[in-house]
Amino acid sequence: MKKTVARIGDRRLPLSNLDKDLYPSFGFTKAHILEYYRRISPHILPHLHGRALTLKRYPDGAQAPFFFEKRCPGYRPDWVKTAQVRESDGGLMTVCLVNDLDTLMWVENLASLELHVPLARAATPGTPDSMVFDLDPGEGADILDCARVAFMLRDVLSDLKLTCFPKTSGKKGLHVYVPLNRNETTFDETRKFSKTVAEVLQHNYPLMVTSSMSNELRKKKVFINWSQNGASNTTVCVYSLRASEKPTVSSPVTWQELETLAGHGDPAKVQFIFSEVIDRTEKDGDLFKDLLTIKQKLPYL
Amino acid sequence: MALQSIWTGTISFSLVAIPVQLVKAVLPGRVSFRMLHAKDYSPLSREMFCPDEEKIVPSDEIVRGFEIGPEKYIVVTDEELESLSPERSRSIEIVDFIDSDDVDPVYYDRPYYLVPSKSGEKAYGLLVEVMRRTNKAGIAKFVFGEREYLVLVRVTSGALCLVTLHYSDEILSDTGVATEKEGAVSEEKDRMVKTIRDMKAAFKPEKYTNERKRKIVSLLGKKAKKQAPVEAPVIGEETPEGPGDLVAVLQESMRKLKATK
Repeated sequence: MKKTVARIGDRRLPLSNLDKDLYPSFGFTKAHILEYYRRISPHILPHLHGRALTLKRYPDGAQAPFFFEKRCPGYRPDWVKTAQVRESDGGLMTVCLVNDLDTLMWVENLASLELHVPLARAATPGTPDSMVFDLDPGEGADILDCARVAFMLRDVLSDLKLTCFPKTSGKKGLHVYVPLNRNETTFDETRKFSKTVAEVLQHNYPLMVTSSMSNELRKKKVFINWSQNGASNTTVCVYSLRASEKPTVSSPVTWQELETLAGHGDPAKVQFIFSEVIDRTEKDGDLFKDLLTIKQKLPYL
Repeated sequence: MALQSIWTGTISFSLVAIPVQLVKAVLPGRVSFRMLHAKDYSPLSREMFCPDEEKIVPSDEIVRGFEIGPEKYIVVTDEELESLSPERSRSIEIVDFIDSDDVDPVYYDRPYYLVPSKSGEKAYGLLVEVMRRTNKAGIAKFVFGEREYLVLVRVTSGALCLVTLHYSDEILSDTGVATEKEGAVSEEKDRMVKTIRDMKAAFKPEKYTNERKRKIVSLLGKKAKKQAPVEAPVIGEETPEGPGDLVAVLQESMRKLKATK
């Protein structure tokens, strides 16, 4: 195993296998991955901050088997911030908090290509900062269908005076986030609300939308996965790389941009790879920044 | 009762508060038709047309104007209207109890049923019984959607019925409808009293059927047998569940969305 020692500030972080090609068909090595996360860190860190990280590790590359790691590995450096979270069986679990660049680099050295986080911060596990609609195309549907459903969601939520923000999943779908930031809204409420919205959309466009998990019922439809709104659920963090053929990223888009991109009628256009995302953030900053501050209350509950 | 609740909250007066749900008491009996394009039967939508520019006006270019004279309007924005909306309330607050027969049916607008929610059944049953025994009905103010309604809460055979009422300034006076003429002969009066007495019956609403509806339904039945229906619009099977108000507002929003497509 080849090792290099990186110096970040006054810390020394040993890095391993930097030239290992983790996206083989793209020639994207672990060094590239570390470099991507280093450059995107000013934008991704506020979204990771204080949240229990689920590592999704791909030690042999994006196309090879992976494993989830919810517990913060015991061999972590002593400066890695952690939190204790309650597991569903009642026990306590130590999780990593990626609050700074050093921890992000350490986590990436473990080949955790994808970073998944819950909607609530570890200190306030019962109150999500946002509500998410995970739009997932079934067999025979694509991201353009997801975009059509996303626009309906935007319009319906806007009638309820709720602002929402879209991002690509980095794979085949889209995620629509509704900022809450009130420290009061519970998962019970976001679940009930998102489920009702999903079912009303399904009721009105039954050939286009389903709120059912069943793969059979999802054929040619967009699955609105509202059940991601749970205390123990995680969603891929904005700006996280995704493990697919290319180093794609779960990237924010503006609604206007999404309309233009979807207007081309080419699913591949609604997809961003790491270099595009770096360019975009250098130009526009973090399009998801307001998700962390806008306070909204879910009405009619 | 498997009816969809359109509002949940409490009905209250003095120190009493009973959790209830509001459901429709009437399903409109009209057979409604969709307007279709004759050549391919695709459903049509209504658009706002500007005769001056001879083009369809998109919704974001439409404002509300109150006509005060020929070609003179006062423009009112959505925000202004919204600022007048009453504060949303989770309660139907009875302010007065009146004798049930005191309200002239001309004031009745739309009827609903109030269904007791869990833990409210007992208090609900008691209220129904007392109101029936004392022959009283409640007058309440009720905020639903963007508006405040004046409502009457009365007892039907076994339930509470909520009827939205017209405000008094909406009711047209009957003065001048008939002018009194003197000199009705007592013989004529007696004859009419007798005729009415002979025709006396108990009110059996099922005796009277909606003839037009019956004929339209029968025509549709015949046509359906003779010709295959033209491509039918797909309608979702399950009615969305969830908080009644939220479902209602979302459905309204979807209806608007479809109309602009």
